[in-house]
Amino acid sequence: MATKINPSFTDELKKYGAVNMNACYNCGTCTAVCSLSTTDESFPREMVRLSALGLEEDIKTSLKPWECYYCGECTTSCPQQANPGELMMSLRRWLTAKYDWTGLSGLLYKSLPLMILAMILIFASVLYFASSVSFDLGQMLHAGHNFEMIAIGTIFIVIFIPNLLRMWYFTILKTKTNVGIKYYFTSLSELFVQMFTQKRLRDCDDADHFRWVEHLVLVLSYLSLLFTTVFLNWFTTENMFVIVFGYLISFVVFVVTAHFVSDRLKKNKSLNKFSQPSDWFFVIWLLLMGVTAFLVRLFIDLNLLESNKWLYIAHLTILAQWALIIVPFGKWTHFLYRSFGLYFSKLKTKKS
Amino acid sequence: MKRIGVYICHCGGNISDYVDVEEVRKSVEHEEGVVLAKTTMFACSDSNQNDMVSDIKEHRLDGVVVASCSPKLHLVTFRNVTERGDLNKYTYVHANIREQASWAHSDDKPGATGKAIHLVKAAIAKSRYAEPLYPNQIEAEKIIAVIGAGVAGLKAAASISDKNINVILIEKEDRVGGHTAELGDLFMSDEKGYDLINRIYNDIAQRDNVTILTGSEVISSKGSIGNFTLKIRKRPQNIGDPVETMEIKVGSIVVATGFESYIPKEGEFDYVVNENVITLPEFKLLVDKSTGDKLIYKGKTIKNIVYIYCVGSRQNEGGNTYCSRFCCTSVIHTAIEAKKKFKNIYNIHLNRGIRTYGKQELLYAESLKMGDIYLQFDQTTPPEITSNGKNSIVTVTDILSAGKKMSVEADLIVLVTGMVPRSDQSIGTMFKIPRGRDKFYNEIHMKLRPVETVIDGITIAGTCQGPKKISESVNSALSAATKSFSYVSKGTLETDPIIAVINEDSCSWCGKCLEACPFDAIEKINLNNREIAAVNSSVCKGCGMCAPVCPPDAINLIGYRNEEIISMIDVLA
Repeated sequence: MATKINPSFTDELKKYGAVNMNACYNCGTCTAVCSLSTTDESFPREMVRLSALGLEEDIKTSLKPWECYYCGECTTSCPQQANPGELMMSLRRWLTAKYDWTGLSGLLYKSLPLMILAMILIFASVLYFASSVSFDLGQMLHAGHNFEMIAIGTIFIVIFIPNLLRMWYFTILKTKTNVGIKYYFTSLSELFVQMFTQKRLRDCDDADHFRWVEHLVLVLSYLSLLFTTVFLNWFTTENMFVIVFGYLISFVVFVVTAHFVSDRLKKNKSLNKFSQPSDWFFVIWLLLMGVTAFLVRLFIDLNLLESNKWLYIAHLTILAQWALIIVPFGKWTHFLYRSFGLYFSKLKTKKS
Repeated sequence: MKRIGVYICHCGGNISDYVDVEEVRKSVEHEEGVVLAKTTMFACSDSNQNDMVSDIKEHRLDGVVVASCSPKLHLVTFRNVTERGDLNKYTYVHANIREQASWAHSDDKPGATGKAIHLVKAAIAKSRYAEPLYPNQIEAEKIIAVIGAGVAGLKAAASISDKNINVILIEKEDRVGGHTAELGDLFMSDEKGYDLINRIYNDIAQRDNVTILTGSEVISSKGSIGNFTLKIRKRPQNIGDPVETMEIKVGSIVVATGFESYIPKEGEFDYVVNENVITLPEFKLLVDKSTGDKLIYKGKTIKNIVYIYCVGSRQNEGGNTYCSRFCCTSVIHTAIEAKKKFKNIYNIHLNRGIRTYGKQELLYAESLKMGDIYLQFDQTTPPEITSNGKNSIVTVTDILSAGKKMSVEADLIVLVTGMVPRSDQSIGTMFKIPRGRDKFYNEIHMKLRPVETVIDGITIAGTCQGPKKISESVNSALSAATKSFSYVSKGTLETDPIIAVINEDSCSWCGKCLEACPFDAIEKINLNNREIAAVNSSVCKGCGMCAPVCPPDAINLIGYRNEEIISMIDVLA
């Protein structure tokens, strides 16, 4: 049975950030220079081809976009300036939208006004909540802490588990990959290693491991900050170690994200040249989280927070926007999908 | 007794590595008539040429033999050397001991040397008989006919007219411009095809030395280079008018009869059978003529256009095996025009490799950037057209997607057809212009003599020679115009003296020579109430085909007479 071409698909993909991908004349230089592409798992040319022809089903069932860490070598080497690296990036955005059962990811990726509206709505809700407790700092801190716990749990159960199941359905079940149950367990190490160390990114730029180190530090610091604020309750704890640790990691988050933001502003690497709103929201909100968390704790320690409640409201707004929009429907999800992508990909090599 | 000088060339080792040139020199220096025998590192070098000129004068030589490379390379060089030594250049004899001895027998050095000695001795034998010859001088009409008034013919006429020579431009149709006049937008130009033609036509129509005959056909030709007589039939302008015939005398002819578009056979990619299938020229016309912001064909708004490339080109042996060169560029250009002009157009190109050479690469890049989709198929798996009841579905195996089978719904299917030779080959047949494997007219040499034909005085221009785009047609037209001009520019022209001659006493006209002659140089004449053969000296090429078939041995080839050849054979024995 012949596969049907959809010439209008590229118009759709452009809304997810694809740039000039049609210029591709299929030379395959991108695949040849890619340090992650292998004979069995070869990309990006194949993905560029599928995209140009609009073969949505083939893209939806492919894990290859998650196997790319966007070093930008392909884009630099492309004789047609077809930006294969950015195409892989936009395919990840498109896939994220496809995995999301609510459909909100797609809407927010494609429409900046909608994204801003959602952010404003959350800000308004925080203000409404703050006024409902008469701007009482104790109550706000308590509610903020509870909110984090509830938000994490809910999003995990309502959004992430169904979406990951959908991803599994598209990429494993639909492709009729027959994987023995025991491999799901024996391959779990791949999932966690990739999730927490991004080991694969190390293979990306063989000359320079700095981006991997930087990214690893950010991920670990972010997870530690999450752990410190949510489970160790950093803002109300008296434990000296936790307080200092919190300062340290929020500072690290601030430094690394500030560097990421400046790189995106300078556009000095190919992966920074075409930032989409989703990329900006991700790094800026991460930066703001680090800054506001750091300042909130500092103001607590200096006994200034009571007179500067606005700071906590700002922090809570950032936090809520992060937890309710960017985490479930934005770029944050690449943390999950990429590690599961590599896990599923490993499973596929074990198919019986 | 002739005084002959012999030069044996080392060719820098090309010859002397295998042939013992000193041995050759020793073997021939005492041959009858040889007064001088030398070896030389490079016979063609300036210093040796100068030595030869002084040797000729000093030793009072009246025959020169050089044993070196192929005469194709240096026959003319050494003829000119003898001419500088005040000898008749046709007395020069060339021996080829490189291609015929050293290179051919590099595995057998003594054998190569022996063969070289024989070849040089034979050349010396021929030299003893060599007579001075003089080129034939003929008067040439200073008028040039250009047949076909397409873009090539018009430009050729303009170029000849620029050189102050009278031109007669003969066009079969009632209007000039050929295919170009039917075209709208052109690539790399803001001018439309018909505007381009109008501009050239308006320029030459008012020139005194240009005569344009439309609705006119050349029906017969007599004569040869310098003096062609063409009979022309002009169609009546109005019903009831008599058919006009006229005779014109011209010195040379530019043939620019153009091409025809390939018309697919009924059912070839559903042509005719499916009303949504059209050819490239039809599509080009549709895009040029359509107005509004939607492309409408047969009442239907067109969205997906599928182009099937190489229809009628690059076929298997037995079909049109050649590439038509212009069609990739033309279809991509038209597809871009369509996409710019109309809303919601998606172009899907099913090709066999894109050949937008040179600057046309820019078009391909532009089309890619606009989002045109390119799928590539192999000749063995051509696209198939089916229907889902409502729309046509084109299925193709895409090489660029690892041989995956793809299908696309097509509102319009454009068969990218190429060029074929004119079905009316009367002009070529009349002048005996040879045709190539692909049935277009053939030049003498693709690179070195690209517009001349083996028929002296007749050049070819434009697409009658093979598929070309407009700029290539114009290039070849300007080249052919200049070549044709050079034949007649002096008013007289020289032809080679090496031709066949008939012994009028022994000839009794049997017609065998006429059958053997590839150039139509032989005619039957009546001499003193006897029918005998005569050779047209300006048409004869001295190929020698007639001499051996003559039963009474009445034909001799000047420069290769029987006694010369027999003397050469004798020394070999």
